[in-house]
Order: sequence, then structure tokens, then C-alpha cells
Amino acid sequence: MSAWMGHARSRMPRLAEQAVERARLTVVPRRSRAPRVPFVVLVFLVLLGGVVGLLMFNTHMQQMSFTATELQARADRLHATQQSLQMELDELRDPQRVATRAQALGMVPMVSPAFLRLSDGKQLGEAKTATPMDAQRLEPIPTQEPPGFKPRRTGGVVDETPDMNDDGVPSDDLPSERDTTG
Amino acid sequence: MRLQVGFLLIAMVVSVFAVRLFQLQGLDARTYAERARAVGAVQELLPATRGSILDRNGTPLAESLDGSMIVADPTKTADDAAAIATILTERLGVSYIDTVENLRWPDTRFRYIARRVPTTKAVEVVEELSDLGYKGLDIRRDPVRSYPAKDVGANIVGYVNGLGDAAGGAEQLFNPLLSGEDGSATYDVGGGNRIPLGDNSTTEPVDGEDLTLTLDRDLQWYTQRVLRQTVEDAGGKSGVAVVLDSRTGELLALADHPTYDPNTTVQRKIGRLASKAFRDVYEPGSVEKVLTAAALIDAGIVEPDTKLRVPGTLKSSDKEISDHWEHGLERLTLTGVIAKSSNIGTVMAARKMPGRVLHRYLKAFGLGSRTGIPGYGESAGLLPPWQDWLEINRDNIAFGQGLAVNAVQMAAAVNTVANGGVYVQPSVVLGKATTHSGEVTGSSVAEQRRVISEDAARQTAEMMEMVLDPEEGTAPDAAIEGYRVAGKTGTAQMVDPACGCYSGGKFTVSFAGFAPADDPRFTVYVVVHEPTDGQGGGTTGGKAFRKIMAYLLQKYAVPPSGSESPELPVEWGRQPSSEE
Repeated sequence: MSAWMGHARSRMPRLAEQAVERARLTVVPRRSRAPRVPFVVLVFLVLLGGVVGLLMFNTHMQQMSFTATELQARADRLHATQQSLQMELDELRDPQRVATRAQALGMVPMVSPAFLRLSDGKQLGEAKTATPMDAQRLEPIPTQEPPGFKPRRTGGVVDETPDMNDDGVPSDDLPSERDTTG
Repeated sequence: MRLQVGFLLIAMVVSVFAVRLFQLQGLDARTYAERARAVGAVQELLPATRGSILDRNGTPLAESLDGSMIVADPTKTADDAAAIATILTERLGVSYIDTVENLRWPDTRFRYIARRVPTTKAVEVVEELSDLGYKGLDIRRDPVRSYPAKDVGANIVGYVNGLGDAAGGAEQLFNPLLSGEDGSATYDVGGGNRIPLGDNSTTEPVDGEDLTLTLDRDLQWYTQRVLRQTVEDAGGKSGVAVVLDSRTGELLALADHPTYDPNTTVQRKIGRLASKAFRDVYEPGSVEKVLTAAALIDAGIVEPDTKLRVPGTLKSSDKEISDHWEHGLERLTLTGVIAKSSNIGTVMAARKMPGRVLHRYLKAFGLGSRTGIPGYGESAGLLPPWQDWLEINRDNIAFGQGLAVNAVQMAAAVNTVANGGVYVQPSVVLGKATTHSGEVTGSSVAEQRRVISEDAARQTAEMMEMVLDPEEGTAPDAAIEGYRVAGKTGTAQMVDPACGCYSGGKFTVSFAGFAPADDPRFTVYVVVHEPTDGQGGGTTGGKAFRKIMAYLLQKYAVPPSGSESPELPVEWGRQPSSEE
């Protein structure tokens, strides 16, 4: 036991010596400093770029929003125009109107249909000349107004002479506005 | 000590902050949030566009348009009423008198001046007026359901009322399909522009689907005008005209008179809305003889040239049956019975068939049961069960009295003969569509069933051609030069509800027919109720039939086949030389 102790003791000083040798402080050699200016400039530029970019992005978006509003307004106007034209077209295509115009030109519906076969020039069916007698009546003959219905007129003139209703306005032609003005 | 006082002060200040925070966030949060929203946020309803109702060619019968209305504040317009009204009358064609009256309306700040005005026009006029220094006029959005052809097809299309609710016809029946679903949008606004990155949410609206009907708008218009003239000239009370595509059962036109214009609100109130073609039932009269004859031929009991000795009167139960013309004993073929529309001859032939069998045939022709077109309050009509038939009932039914039909039902029955003996269920919707109750209806789901043989149908059609014969028939007025046309007249007495009897005063006259007779394409049925001019179905109905059929043949380019009518004999046993 003591022999082992003695042996250890004899080794200790050597180890310590080495440790001391290693632990001795030395001055760290000065590192060469990186130049500070470019870094600051870089950070500044990034910052500036960010801010300017954000600003521009924002402005651009606002601009887009203005454009969107303007385009929307234009779309609305065009939609209104389209609807107006549709209404006009409907009016022009109304079969009643077309027929009235045709009749004003002296046209009447055909009496008997006939066809011409192009392959051999043969006439199919009998074409008969239509006469003014064949004209189709387009407007209703004036009728008595339905019971319980009295159009509102100003001044009560109608109420004094109720007979005027009978040969007055045909009931089919009464405008809707009368009903909705109330 | 100083430190403690400091802490105390800080604690007090923090407490005040906390209370204020609680007040703002906890108690008044809603008010502030709302106030903030009111400043910039916009909530908008994105209305779905209601689908159009189209005719078979895609022409709109009903469509939704974005119009404008011009409204006035009479407190501001009263002084300039005359000047404003002059301009409005000139530009918009409104009534001058009404407009002045509205512009001067006392004690109100709101009057309608014009509605359904195209927006561009409304803006133009109002700007012009404000440039001239007139105040008090404004424009409001006026989404309109427009019926561009006015009364054309109104009985089928129906209408949307002033509140925007579907209130009749196809508009109501197919409302879920047509209406679509409204959307909404919420976004922040600054200075009239949307704020990007602000609160922003949009639910796109789902527009309604279009609905295509089997009607042909031009034909429908013409049919309505012809019917109106017919009813008016006959001094009738009402009328119906049905045009069927013989092969598909599609209703190309269905005219009711009187009818209404769905654009106006006045006419909706006066009881013209229901389609009488579906709802009103009446006794079909002699047109029904076609069905009886077709049944008899199909059963092999008679043939077109079956010889009948037709007396002047015939006893049935305790009553006497007579014909519409006085005669002694006549020797008529079955063709002659149909051509001349003899009640007695029809009864004599029908008596050869058991009532049960006749009933079965009539049922198969669709009498006594609905055609199955939903949404128009269709009446089933009346076909009494055969067990209840007395002799007189059976005899009456054989020539079209003592049973009741609606016009579409009767047209479909006659169309069975036109379509080679196959009954086709009539339809109003082209293709198919689902109603609000989930029922699928339309031409592509129309049922078909064979009622009589093709041969029986052809023979019946040939007999019906003689009805239009200039010498022998009851309806020469219905004939179209160059074409083979088959038809049958009907003049039925109306039952007086007071006594339950045929009191004699009122009639229903009608004409049903199809052309070309050898390859039928169209079936037309015209009915006039309570005419007062004393004419029968051949004249009144026949003329209308002719006009409508001629239009159809031309429009759909159906040339005559060129074949000759067989000209079946109507009499027998009489030598040409023995005629006076």
C-alpha cells in the first residue's frame, strides 16, 4: 500500500508542472479588425430598400385599388348599357310590334302554305293570293272593363259619366304605372 | 419609504388603466366595433340573377334586367312640374298629365315618376334636368323581371310580383331552379376605394338556371291573336287553343283568352291568371266521337264503310236522341256519321261495344285523369265509372256529352289518333326540369302508351278527312288547299248549373284536327265557350284551326305529301242517278 502511495507521489509534481506550464496566460494576439463602414452602409441600404420597397408596394396597391374602382365603375356602366340595349332589343323583337309594322306596310298572313322544291322545280301545295280580308286583327276590340275595376283619373270626370268607360281605353292597354304610384 | 409611495402611485395609475381597459373591451366593445365598422366597412348583398324562361328557340319569355326607376321629391319639383314633365314626356314617353300630377303630389317627399327605364336613359335624363337647374329627381335601382312579349305565354310563364316573389305559372313552379342563391361581400372602404389588405370576404352569388319551355314564342303570339279574334267575333266568353307536336306531345302553343300581361300589376288582380286550358272542364261534344270511332275500329267492331240506317230520332232510356239537323232515315257509313257528326249514328255504332270496353278505351285516351303537367291546378275532368252507366249515359258519352275534359287532355286524346295510336303525355318543359316539390317533368320524361293499333288510327284519320269535305263535311272552312287535313267539329250544349240540365242557351264549340293527315305533324284544338253568334264548331273553330295550322305548316316547312285523300264514301245504297 505505502509502496503504491510513494510511487504516486513521485509522479504528481511532474503532472502539475505540465499543467502549470499549460495554464500560463499569454496575451492574445490582436486580430485585424474588419472595416466597419461597409457593414453600416449595407444595413442602411437594406433598411432603406425595405422601406422604399414597402412604400412603393403600398402605393402600387393603392394605385391598383383606384384602378379597380375605376374599372368596376366602367363595368357597371357597360352593364347598364348592355341592359339598356337588351331592353331596346326586346322591344324591337316583340312579335306584336313586328306584326303591327308589317301590317302597316300592307302585309297579311299567308293563306295557304306552298313550297318550291329546288331539285326539280316542282311546286308543293297550292299558293293562294292573300287579300286584305285575310288580315289578322292585332288589337283587342274595346271591351267593357272588368267589374270592380275603375282606373283612377284626375278630377273625377269619369265618375260623372261612367258610360265613357265602355268605349274608352281597352283594359289590356292600361299602364302598370297607375297601380304602382300609390 | 420613498420607494413604497412610488409603488403605490404606480399601482393606482395601473388600476385606472385596468378599469378603463375593462370598460372599453368588456362593456363598450360592441359599440366601438360597430362605430369602426360604420366608418369604413361596407357590406353588400350580391343578388343572384334570376334565370330566364326561354321558348324552344331560346327567345326569352321572361328575363331579369337591371333597370332604373326615376323618383321625385314633390316638395322640390312642384314649382317646375310643367317644365320637368315636358322633358320627361319627350324623353321617356310617360304620360304628361300623370307626371305633372305626381310632381305636384301634396304632403309627400316620394313619388314614382317612371319605372323600368333603361339605366343609361334614366341617368341621361336626370343629368339633363339637373343641368337645367331642376332639383328633386333621383334614380334608384329597379331590378325588373321583364316579360318582353307581354301577354304571350303569360298563362304558362306566370309572373313575379312586385316584391320579387314568384307568384304563378312556371315562375313559381320552378322557383328554386330559377332563383339561384344570393351572395354577399364585406370589405373596407376609404375615400370610395377598397382598402387593400383590409377586411375582405366575398361569397359569390350563384345565378339561377334558365328554363326552356316547349312553346314557340312567335307561334304562341299568333295563336293568341287568332284565338282572341275568334272569341271576340263569336261573341264568346272565353276560349282555348292548344297546339301539340303530334310526335312528341310538346305543347308548341297554349293560348288562353282572356289572358293578362304579366308586366302590369293591374291585370293580375282580375281573375285571369289561371290557365283555363288546364283548369276549366267542359263537355267536349262531338269531337269525342273521334275517340269512340277509333275504339270501335280498333276493337274490330266496325269499319269506316260500315253501313248504318240512321233514323231521325233514337230512343235511349226514357229520352230521345236527335241530330243537329232534321232528317228522316239516312243511309250513312261510319265515315258519313263522323263527317256529318250524327249523334244517332255514333250511338248505334257504339251500342255494339260493351260499356266496360268503351270506358277502358276512353280511359286509355287519357279522359278522366290528369295529363300530369304539374303546377297549373289541372282538373282531372270526369269520366263516370262504367258500372254507373245507364243506357242514356253510355249513349251520351259515346258522342261527347255526360263527361268532362280539360282542353289539354282532349287535345292529347285526339293527338293519339294523329300519332299512329300511341298516346303521348303532353309537356310544357323542353327536356326536363325539377319542380319546387322535387317532381321531374318535361318532354324527355313524357310517358307513351299504345291505345289503338296503327291501322285503326290511320282509318280513323281517313274518316276525319271527310269532315273537311266541301260537300259532305261539317267543317269545310278548316281545309287548307293542297294539304290532307283531318279534323272533327264539336258543338256541345253546356249544362246549366241551376237545373243540372241542358237548358239549351249556352254552347261550347270546338274543332280538333291534325295535318298532314297521312303523316301528322301537328295537332291543333280550338275551343270557344259560350259563343253568341249561333255558329257551330266547324265555322268558328274551323277557321281558327285553319289559320293556326297554315302558319305551322309554313313555319316548320312541312310540304304536302302529294298523296290523294281516299275520299271514303259517306253514304251507301244511293245511286248517283237517283239524286235530285
